[in-house]
Amino acid sequence: MSYEEDNSTYWERLRAGDKQALFALYNNTYSHLLRFGLKLCGSDELVKDCITQLFLQLWNRYATLRPVTNVPAYLFTALKRQLLDQLAYQSKIHAAIHRMTDQEAERELSYEEIIIQVQCDEELKQRLQQAMKTLTPRQIELVRLKFFEGLTYEQIAAQTSQTVKTAYNTIYDAIKALRKVLK
Amino acid sequence: MNFQEYDAIDFACDESFQRYCLEEHDKDVLFWQHWISEHPEKKAAIAEARHIVEIFSARQGNRLEQLKHLEDGIARYDLLHQALGGESEPGNALRKKHIPRLLKYAAVMAGIALLAGSIFFFYPRNSVPEKNVVINAGKDPRKTVVLPDGSAVVLRENSTVQLSAGFNRENRRLSLTGEAFFDVTQNAQHPFIVHTAAADIKVLGTVFNVSAYTDRQTETALFKGKVEVSPSGNHGQKIVLQPNQKLITGETLPFAVAPLDADPVNHKAKEIAWVRSRLEIENEPLEAIAGKLEKWYGIKVVFADEEVKHYRYSGTFESETILKALDALQLSYPFSFKMLNGEIIISK
Repeated sequence: MSYEEDNSTYWERLRAGDKQALFALYNNTYSHLLRFGLKLCGSDELVKDCITQLFLQLWNRYATLRPVTNVPAYLFTALKRQLLDQLAYQSKIHAAIHRMTDQEAERELSYEEIIIQVQCDEELKQRLQQAMKTLTPRQIELVRLKFFEGLTYEQIAAQTSQTVKTAYNTIYDAIKALRKVLK
Repeated sequence: MNFQEYDAIDFACDESFQRYCLEEHDKDVLFWQHWISEHPEKKAAIAEARHIVEIFSARQGNRLEQLKHLEDGIARYDLLHQALGGESEPGNALRKKHIPRLLKYAAVMAGIALLAGSIFFFYPRNSVPEKNVVINAGKDPRKTVVLPDGSAVVLRENSTVQLSAGFNRENRRLSLTGEAFFDVTQNAQHPFIVHTAAADIKVLGTVFNVSAYTDRQTETALFKGKVEVSPSGNHGQKIVLQPNQKLITGETLPFAVAPLDADPVNHKAKEIAWVRSRLEIENEPLEAIAGKLEKWYGIKVVFADEEVKHYRYSGTFESETILKALDALQLSYPFSFKMLNGEIIISK
């Protein structure tokens, strides 16, 4: 069964009150939801909390859930709403000031911004910023596809029209250079 | 594949190892858990590789740990549901009929609210103070502290700040008695809130001074950014301050917004004359300058490197916090500094 078919099956079973289907749906969509959330706000803890909340709410009202054609799209939207609620709740004032001063709404964070923002250690943040500057744009792109988007070397090679070996070597060299700066 | 030959980079670039770090497939998790337990000599390389994957995946992963949270949450929810609705207890079936619908709904909602609260509450989080941290300037004329979120606070003598539990994790709230100067870092999720007896002050990344002695009017003076003051007596009423304004809250008059008092000679705000340091340096080594800063701002400055001590600087500058002062010095000849355990450490 494909990823979509799996999710649709789990959804129908969830609507019938099958708790295992809820967990299966969770496991199937977790990494996608997490990545989606991270692009909206650079806090892995907040996103993880909201994903848990989202599934708790699904379980709370499984009996009233409607049939859904695209389950991941439904979950993305629900997670986005959850995140916005949390963010608004946590800092209504900030949101207001932000709207007043900053016109560009809902900009997606860049990969560099995300990996730096989720770190708590100020020193590591700074070194990470320095480290990323030593990479070429191509290296950053491949590191993003590999570690953030979770693509395989084959998928990366196909997407960037190069051999698997080259893709691997580019990422290997990037990690080697980053390690030197991060140490 | 011969993993024995692997170093940290090889592990980090291995796809199965990446899936193990991100807990994507149970098969990889089991394999690596086993392999690592069999090869204790690779512990350091594995730890470094995990760190690398964690950084560049933006701390994705933890699926299994998060799944555990969800399972616990649902188990608690089901228990609660049983207790409230009594579905699985046959003896309750009769009584259940008579519960008005609205009440039942309210009870379930209360249960969910309780559950939601407990989930956020039970999450283990690291690197944040759990107890209320109290910082007191005592007899020092000024005491500088850098808070866990990177904000700098300069406390005037006999003034106290108390950080709320979960500071920098769940909130950025603190209470102040006395007077303090704040240079607050930006954090989209948690607004920085200062509680005083007379008012609550909400801020974003900004620079401001609060004078909140119990026997006097409370004054909030803003220098940069934006703050919102909610005087305790005026429920729901909020005043937004613009830079170079101050808000006076006291017993006699409800509140008043006034411009800052500029010093007639140097045009600097009198409100923070107590905190501003004017430093004139004529070709002095950093060691001597650090000594002066240490004395003025009331924070220990140590050197991690001998050579830096002898860097020489000249110039005149005024700064409100020691971090700004060091920033200014860095511009002419770079060195680095960081905060650790309440000290400032200077290195190359």
